[in-house]
Amino acid sequence: MLLKNFAELPARKRIGIVAIILGIVSIFASNPFSNVNTKVNIKELSLVSADEISEVNVEELSDWLIKGKYDYRLIDLRKDEEYKKYHIPTSENVTVARLLKSDLARNEKIILYSDNDITSAQGWFILKSNNYKGVYVIKGGIESWQKEILFPSCTCDENPTIEQKHKHDKLAEVAKYFGGELRTEGIIAANNKMEMPSIEAPATIELKKPKGKRKREGC
Amino acid sequence: MTAPFFKFGYFNDEVSLIVAFVIGIFFGLVLEKGGFGSARMLAAQFYFTDMRVFKVMFTAIVTAMIGLFYFSWIGFLDLSLVYYGETFLLPQLLGGLILGVGFVIGGYCPGTSAVAISTGRIDAIFYALGGMFGIFVFGEMFPYITDFFYSTPMGQINLPDLLGINYGIIMLLVILMAIGGFTAAEWAEKLMAEKQSKARG
Repeated sequence: MLLKNFAELPARKRIGIVAIILGIVSIFASNPFSNVNTKVNIKELSLVSADEISEVNVEELSDWLIKGKYDYRLIDLRKDEEYKKYHIPTSENVTVARLLKSDLARNEKIILYSDNDITSAQGWFILKSNNYKGVYVIKGGIESWQKEILFPSCTCDENPTIEQKHKHDKLAEVAKYFGGELRTEGIIAANNKMEMPSIEAPATIELKKPKGKRKREGC
Repeated sequence: MTAPFFKFGYFNDEVSLIVAFVIGIFFGLVLEKGGFGSARMLAAQFYFTDMRVFKVMFTAIVTAMIGLFYFSWIGFLDLSLVYYGETFLLPQLLGGLILGVGFVIGGYCPGTSAVAISTGRIDAIFYALGGMFGIFVFGEMFPYITDFFYSTPMGQINLPDLLGINYGIIMLLVILMAIGGFTAAEWAEKLMAEKQSKARG
């Protein structure tokens, strides 16, 4: 009876009634913005993590930083205090809990690091399961950065070949660039501490960050 | 698959331009069909003689609102990725006022002038030229008005957050507002038609 009456109404009235019903139902529907729960494609994720393509090692990263390559966002997952003490130049501080609320876009290349691999993996998983495409983790995190880039230890022979010397010089240059130093046996003996340099240390880093890359959308 | 497709990286910049082109054509087509391509029709809104554009516009708003809400509710759409502009209260009030005045005088908004140009309306060509000149003047003036341009910033806010009300209630209110608006518009149309026939004698 009710349906028959409804069918006899003019189209615009029917549309109006449907709209009102949808509006009333929506009051009881949940907030469309809260997407805390997500579906995860376990198979896809496990396959991705099986190969090593989602890892970036610190040499690559230091190379990009020196060359001013900036087609990625470097994210420091550690706590604020630790970040303030020292962080890899150009990194932004976003803790794991805040990852999804940050302004990271799904089609950006995102490189994560932390002081332990579990936190990085956590961040990687959260982003990956929320359909972020290019998520990478720095192998070994900040520790690896400290040991291999800032304070690389030299395994110098007594009579280094030209190749070894070349490599040695490069290590020293890179370490100096980021405010650290190459640790030869003499330095290790004298001062075994690996003090993190101040954040301002690599003052010369100039990123070729494309200005206004963030598109303003809208009509 | 979840929308929005571009933000999820399902297609790249180049493909997005093609998609935009196709959507643009259909958007223009719908605007023209709705009568938005005629300055007379648009100006009629402000004299309450023919409210077709108002009705089309408000219907589109309500349809889009209901669609976005339910698509995101069933998980097809990630609403947090749908961009909406930041609010700068005073500059936007003034800007809206200027746009509104231009709308009544010229009979077009920027988009509909493009539609009207494609159907060969000369007034629309001048309207668009004027718009471009205005953009140029604004660009030259911008250093002097930068402070005002960025004044009273409120960030990316929306009504449910600002008022602290459930999304659904805002939806229902907008729907009721639309239906009330349609009823009022039809009533005004009738009234104006009577007035006009009386004036003609």
